[in-house]
Amino acid sequence: MTNLEKLEKWKSALNKCIRCGYCYEHCQIYKSTRWDSDSPRGKLILLYGLLSGQVQPTPYVAEKLFECFHCNRCQKACSSGVPIQDVYNDARAFLQEAGYDVPGTTSLTDQDACALCLACVRSCKHEARHYANDRIEVDRLKCQSCGNCLDVCPAIGITIEQGFGTNPEELKRAVTDFFGNPANTGAKAVVFSCGWGNYPGLQTARYYKLDENPEYKVLMTICAGRVTSKTVLDTLDAGAWGVLICCCPEDDCEHGGNARVKARVKILTESLKNIGIDPNRVKVVEVPPKEAGKFTAETKSFMEEIKSLGPLMARSAR
Amino acid sequence: MVSVNIEKLKAIVGEQNILSDPADLYIYGSDSSVHQAMPHAVARPQNTEQVQAIMRYANSEKIPVIPRGSASVMCGQVVPVYGGIILDMRDMNRILEINPEDGYCRVEPGVVDDDLNRALKPYGVFYPPTPASSVVATIGGEIANNASGTRSVKYGAARDAVLAVKVVMANGDCFSLGANTRVAASGYPLEKLLIGSEGTLAIIVEATLRFVPIPKLRCMGIAKFNLLSDAGHAISEIMSSGCQPSMLELIDRIAIVAANKAEKLGLPEVDAILLFEADGMVKEVVDPEVQKFQSICEKHNGFGFEYSYEEKERARIWAGRSKLFPSLSKYDERLASTSLADDMAVPFSKMAETADKIHEVADRHGLVMTAYGHCGAGCMHTKILMDTDDESQWEAAKAAVAEIYDFVQSVGGTTSAEHGIGLSKAAAFKKEKAETLELMRAIKKAFDPNNILNPGKLMDGPDDWVSETQLRYQTSK
Repeated sequence: MTNLEKLEKWKSALNKCIRCGYCYEHCQIYKSTRWDSDSPRGKLILLYGLLSGQVQPTPYVAEKLFECFHCNRCQKACSSGVPIQDVYNDARAFLQEAGYDVPGTTSLTDQDACALCLACVRSCKHEARHYANDRIEVDRLKCQSCGNCLDVCPAIGITIEQGFGTNPEELKRAVTDFFGNPANTGAKAVVFSCGWGNYPGLQTARYYKLDENPEYKVLMTICAGRVTSKTVLDTLDAGAWGVLICCCPEDDCEHGGNARVKARVKILTESLKNIGIDPNRVKVVEVPPKEAGKFTAETKSFMEEIKSLGPLMARSAR
Repeated sequence: MVSVNIEKLKAIVGEQNILSDPADLYIYGSDSSVHQAMPHAVARPQNTEQVQAIMRYANSEKIPVIPRGSASVMCGQVVPVYGGIILDMRDMNRILEINPEDGYCRVEPGVVDDDLNRALKPYGVFYPPTPASSVVATIGGEIANNASGTRSVKYGAARDAVLAVKVVMANGDCFSLGANTRVAASGYPLEKLLIGSEGTLAIIVEATLRFVPIPKLRCMGIAKFNLLSDAGHAISEIMSSGCQPSMLELIDRIAIVAANKAEKLGLPEVDAILLFEADGMVKEVVDPEVQKFQSICEKHNGFGFEYSYEEKERARIWAGRSKLFPSLSKYDERLASTSLADDMAVPFSKMAETADKIHEVADRHGLVMTAYGHCGAGCMHTKILMDTDDESQWEAAKAAVAEIYDFVQSVGGTTSAEHGIGLSKAAAFKKEKAETLELMRAIKKAFDPNNILNPGKLMDGPDDWVSETQLRYQTSK
């Protein structure tokens, strides 16, 4: 018999959800799969099913609940006031206690590759990683899928399997599609935007459809700190004249991504300079959440700058 | 006994576009209404040919098929009461053509209303039926429910905007109904039959919609009233005075309190607020409309009048109304907001009386009900705020809903203004349309002889929505 007490206390909150679906537009995971089951509304319905006994706990159900980037946009946008993350957290604890230990969007360690250097343990802002039983263990209830640990692992032994469009290989595919589409003759740049900071605001700024500009593509990354040097170089190689990375202001960054991406881009641009590529083609700017105006201004100024620099390589050379 | 061959569906739309896990089916078994049921499968067609193939299979096996957009409907329209296949139409979401020369656009059914209007904006035009849920509502769903919204008082509902539709019939045949012209005189207007049919006649796979120019000026005004009946009389006089508002909205005290709680707006907690918008190309046209609104409101004891042409100010004035529906959940921590008696239409002169009646019925049954809506179109919305754990509250709600619709019909009103019938309003609908139910069933049979398209809705919906359907809430008291 599974213990449903953790969920019982949320029954009234789950009744408050009017299932309007206004949370859809805020959820990267829903936008990636386009299934109701991956939307905040769908997951709340699922929890009601668990609570009422109409849905049985299974690994599949648990996987749905552990798939979340913790951006909290759904909760902030819910004017019915459902404390979505708190409900999710208790549901995850309930499922874990019931024996459903699934990864969802949390990070995984390849124990064979792991050298037990503890770099990931020290870098985790959420205290989700620890050393126990001669291995690195992940507390899935604490992991917020920020990818800090992926970045610092010297053995490249950490992964987040479910990226929903935000993993480096998925970003690379989106970049290739953008520059490889013959219709996008004016394509010049890619703007990487933080999924916890400025991107959600842009998504919901109804009168600024900034991600539909023919000259640049706005791509969401979970934390700007996850934009690797390889991703930047792949983007330039795909045909971009420049790459802009919008991160949160240092004080607002809860995941350490601000400092990481700035340090990385500094090294990268010095290397680019050494091989004769103007360092101004790759830039990091701080854009606070909700400041669509600043995003517009920074993007505009960056586009003017790279237009003055011209293409990095001839289209036929790619 | 319904049985669905999942492999067959996978062969049609691909494995990645099928859901059949019980958890997914449970999620797809509800909408924004109080109802719940389990489908057998969810299929996400990518094109018309796939819809045709699914319908041919479903028709041969007599499997119910329920087309669905974003499921923001409030009356159970997409709840699969007999199981079957949910057709999630949201992947058919291309804007096929914007033709400014001939004043129409062609879209697939999964296009979201706001996305369409964003695409139309550079052409200086907009698609006007836009409901409050436009951020998620799909065009297919809006047509199937004859949706309308705040500006419908001037620009009409989906029925006025749809010129033509392409549909897949129950047997898989595909037809184009209507014409891409502003007028089409002869024959039965079959395309109009689809509007408000709630998925019971055919699957819409394409629509041709007319649009209208975006006015250069919009001016929004607000007036407050200490008596709901005064606001009601003001509405009636505004609409009979020759005034042409582009919006005229009523918000009652309960709704004001909820909006204040949810959005911290600091609105005055008076008995009623009227919101008014006039639009046009020149100020000489808009100003007199606003002045007329003010003088009529003042005549009926309205006060605190203010107005603005500025976009930011208009947004501030409008804030209380824009998120009202979800805000109602915050009125009282113990009460959930249920979509019951959620909409109706009455003659303008009966607006005040209807609002008073709603509150009187609610008080008598120990429920909390609000009254708001697009009163310029005669459209009144309510919600029942109740303790959904308490079984006796459901019986009270059932009685209240029946009384309210009896009253609406007694004053010459109609069961649905814009939200549709589905399951929870079927009893009132059947009472109102008693004379023509058999005619409607005959039409349904001509389109769908095997009764596989969204069965159990509209004229075939339940007489008792509490005992004859499964509720999404579980009672424990």
